[in-house]
Amino acid sequence: MSETAIIQTSDLNLWYGENNALTDISVTIPDRRVTALIGPSGCGKSTLIRCFNRMNDLVGSCRIAGRIDFHGNNIYAKEADPVEIRRKIGMVFQKPNPFPRSVYENVAYGPRVHGIDDRKLLDMIVEQSLRNAALWEEVKDRLQDSAMGLSGGQQQRLCIARTLAVEPEVILMDEPCSALDPIATSKIEALIDELKKRYCVIIVTHNMQQAARVSDYTGFMYLGRMKEFGETKQIFEHPEEELTENYITGRFG
Amino acid sequence: MSDKFHSEIAETKQRVLAMGHLAVGMLQEAMEAMKEHDPDRAARVKESKKKLSDETNALEEEMYRLIALYQPVARDMRMIACSLRVVSSCERIGRYGKDIANVVISTAPDTRFLDLVPALSLPLMADEVIDMITDSLVAYETGDIGLIAHHSERDDRVDALRHTIFRDGITYMMEDPRTITKCTNYLMVARYLERCGDHACKIAEKVHYMVTGEQIEIR
Repeated sequence: MSETAIIQTSDLNLWYGENNALTDISVTIPDRRVTALIGPSGCGKSTLIRCFNRMNDLVGSCRIAGRIDFHGNNIYAKEADPVEIRRKIGMVFQKPNPFPRSVYENVAYGPRVHGIDDRKLLDMIVEQSLRNAALWEEVKDRLQDSAMGLSGGQQQRLCIARTLAVEPEVILMDEPCSALDPIATSKIEALIDELKKRYCVIIVTHNMQQAARVSDYTGFMYLGRMKEFGETKQIFEHPEEELTENYITGRFG
Repeated sequence: MSDKFHSEIAETKQRVLAMGHLAVGMLQEAMEAMKEHDPDRAARVKESKKKLSDETNALEEEMYRLIALYQPVARDMRMIACSLRVVSSCERIGRYGKDIANVVISTAPDTRFLDLVPALSLPLMADEVIDMITDSLVAYETGDIGLIAHHSERDDRVDALRHTIFRDGITYMMEDPRTITKCTNYLMVARYLERCGDHACKIAEKVHYMVTGEQIEIR
């Protein structure tokens, strides 16, 4: 592919105890593109994106072999700093999880943790992040209200704004729309399309139509292996693997 | 996607095939009527026209419904894309059959020059074209693209036959101007048959896409 690689995995293997959850994954994720990971439940797609910002560090029984390079540096190297990695590689989860604080505080929290305490600068970051998450117009008059009072779709965009506030390069999304109604879903999808102009977006989704709509590249995973990875158009029009074809046409899974 | 969807597309495919056979049948019957100089037989071909266009519309609607309800992808999407083209090409083929039937009816009162049809190689050309269409439809049904592997060469033969018929027709007309009305009509028939050959190729291209995912051009 004639793209700039941002994340590259080489022979990545992951075990939960004795269970080999990821096997020999070698994949190149391009920058400023949307990459979707699809596959039946338990195929390892969530496990894989959790590897990209070392979320699996928190799972005791988890063991990893192989490399994940971010801009050519192995994020599992001894000297790599997980906090810095998670700032540059942010994550949005399935269920919106705002902090039980104000809208403003939710977005300002990250920059504060990273040492920004200038009020004017914080105001600017909050506004810009909310604008980039397509939420500013809806919340600009209620910045001090509790984030818990927002609708599910707004909460999810708030979580995206919270991720953007620390200036990441990659945004990981694990089923970001599966708890949202169709209108909120289409807003998030439109947002993803905007985000890819500045960020690399990696999205895990169960909704195949969503993967087809929002992504430029699609990876099909099965039983912990990356069975096929390629341009979304090709995967959904004419996949090379019989297994991929059977999955996306609903013949199993 | 559900088994319901897959049984629905299988059923749609059978209907497309039946519609294809109706269209080829119209072409074949029109050519038989031409060989036999039988206007009654030609008239029966025209009776199928309404069924042909109704079924074309119904099948198009059905496929739009499948797309709207199930958003098919990969081989299912390719099958529906191909079927839409099969239906529109077959409708054209059936209508050329009707046009040929009209020629039979309009030239029927004139009993002179009955041997012009075989003399102009029209039956030979029709056999070649009908074989091509039939092979395209069988390839659509079975996915056996070996059947359409030589459509390009076969279409060249059909084109060559049309040129031959054209030149022979001009010769007959120059020798005996009383043949002009009939010959002119028969040259039109050769043109219709050539177009039917092109539609057989068009169907073959789309079947190739359906089976392999690759777009090709048969010329």
